[in-house]
Amino acid sequence: MKVRFWGVRGSFPVPGPDTNRYGGNTSCVAVRVGEPGDDGPFIVIDAGTGLRKLGKEMMQSEWGKGEGAAHLLVSHTHWDHIQGLPFFAPLYHRGNKFFVYARQRDDTHLRAVFASQTDSPYFPVPFENVQADVAFRELVEGARFEIGPVKVSCTRLNHPWIAIAYRLEHEGRSVCYVTDTAPFRDILIEQEYIRQPPQPGEALKAEDAAKLEKMREGVVRLCEGADLVIYDTQFTPEEYRMRPHWGHSCPDDAIEVARAAGAKAVCLFHHAPERTDAQIDAILAHHRAASPDIELVAAAEGLELTLDGRADALPEQAARQVATR
Amino acid sequence: MRLTFWGVRGSVPAPGPEMNRYGGNTSCVELRTASGACFVIDSGTGVIPLGRQLMAREFGRGQGEARMFLSHAHWDHIQGFPFFQPVFVPGNRLTIYGPGRSSSMLEGILEGQMNPHFSPLHTMKNLGAGIDVVAVDGAAKDPSFEVDGVRVSARLNPHGATRALAYRFEENGRSLVYASDAGYPPGGPSDEVRALYKGATVLIHDCTYSPEDRAERIARGFSSIADAAQAAAEAGVGTLVMFHYDQDYGDDVVDALTERTRLLLDERGAHATKLVAAREGLSLDVE
Repeated sequence: MKVRFWGVRGSFPVPGPDTNRYGGNTSCVAVRVGEPGDDGPFIVIDAGTGLRKLGKEMMQSEWGKGEGAAHLLVSHTHWDHIQGLPFFAPLYHRGNKFFVYARQRDDTHLRAVFASQTDSPYFPVPFENVQADVAFRELVEGARFEIGPVKVSCTRLNHPWIAIAYRLEHEGRSVCYVTDTAPFRDILIEQEYIRQPPQPGEALKAEDAAKLEKMREGVVRLCEGADLVIYDTQFTPEEYRMRPHWGHSCPDDAIEVARAAGAKAVCLFHHAPERTDAQIDAILAHHRAASPDIELVAAAEGLELTLDGRADALPEQAARQVATR
Repeated sequence: MRLTFWGVRGSVPAPGPEMNRYGGNTSCVELRTASGACFVIDSGTGVIPLGRQLMAREFGRGQGEARMFLSHAHWDHIQGFPFFQPVFVPGNRLTIYGPGRSSSMLEGILEGQMNPHFSPLHTMKNLGAGIDVVAVDGAAKDPSFEVDGVRVSARLNPHGATRALAYRFEENGRSLVYASDAGYPPGGPSDEVRALYKGATVLIHDCTYSPEDRAERIARGFSSIADAAQAAAEAGVGTLVMFHYDQDYGDDVVDALTERTRLLLDERGAHATKLVAAREGLSLDVE
């Protein structure tokens, strides 16, 4: 199983010299199983701006001939997780097939949600002009399904309008994608707009606490024994204290969940837009020193991690590839 | 008047080392009037770092006032707005001008960006600042109005299947024209648009493509550097500013296009017209 990062940022894309090494594109990760040339499924998780460059690369192979198929798992439909889709070249090539998975909505069909991104007056090319065959799969809480030989399971997260986490499993190897989410302790975030976050020490309603506990159990179960857990670590602890209702976690939250789940490695992901390369280096170094019991890497654009059961090889793989950028 | 460029890219933000010099943020230009008013032209991702800078002064205290002029509502011209920090501070005032048949329609378009499926903000009503939205009719007989002592005029350019407003700002005998996303028909700009550009001190013009790339992508409704040079030469502008580069044009490509644009201006007899390639962080006096 190979995991390749095309966009690692949260909130909005951040071009500029300060983001050259880790990259400034918003969330997009590609997962491949089997050897190149096999007809194993091609799975993409989230469609932030990183998807644009992935699409260009895909056009060099079967997608450029209109013979490609891919599965797009979407954590949620906030802009930074879907804004690359209108610029995804394989969509505009007849013959390609796409399956888009995301949480079922109460008020409308998923196709309508995705199509409205390219409605007039926001984008010049309406969804009707998409040439590829696109099928939408609406996911409900706790859905499990198979994409060829890959087993997929999901669970809900603590984020405005509700995001979902995925686990992909193939021949004993597994990767989990857990973003966007707040920790499961101070505030329950669902579909209501939260004007004021709770004050520190303010007690949770019992039913909210129960829901959060269940949510946490779901995430820990999802990550059980995983080779790699890619986790929303947008915030520093200070930022989290100011904005717990924004629905993001800190590296310590990710490490705590991974430990409880017996996962082998954690990948810091969904970096804050204002975080510079040097700050991400420092955050990674700090947490490696503080948590030597778990392998830690920081997601970087272009990084490809090979999951072969040797978690201790991951930091070295990452260091080699990120340093050459 | 003084200009600062915060985003110069078209279509989609383009992070990457190959964009370091010109920048990868989408369209946003700051215009400080001689009287000190803050005008923001378009609200691509470049508006985000601008907002961060504005917060250091009166906008951070809820005492700021800005005017925003939108050319049209394609994502690369509005996508920075939900992350423009001054709008979250109660007390700040923002007036947004943009194309629309009515102010409520324009407001509805901006609201669409905050829809809870896509944004945690849910609605513009959750922003703390006072926001007024004013539709600009680029087809009006007299398309000009006064804002903070500046004469503002607006005209529509064809832009693929839609249209985008070009703006002219005049103060103390100096004039800035902003004409991004302009896909002229074979005969060039309309008479109204030609009049808008005429004699501008500075013309910021759509330079999305090389002439070769534009020929392959006519339907997208953008200008080539040749269209920009032609418009600048015809209008006799003081300075032409190249703007809104294609998302795949790295710094070296923009360097080469700049050299070609100089030649294109000279070929058209516009030897006196200065040429500037917009890049993030560049400031320029309109004089």
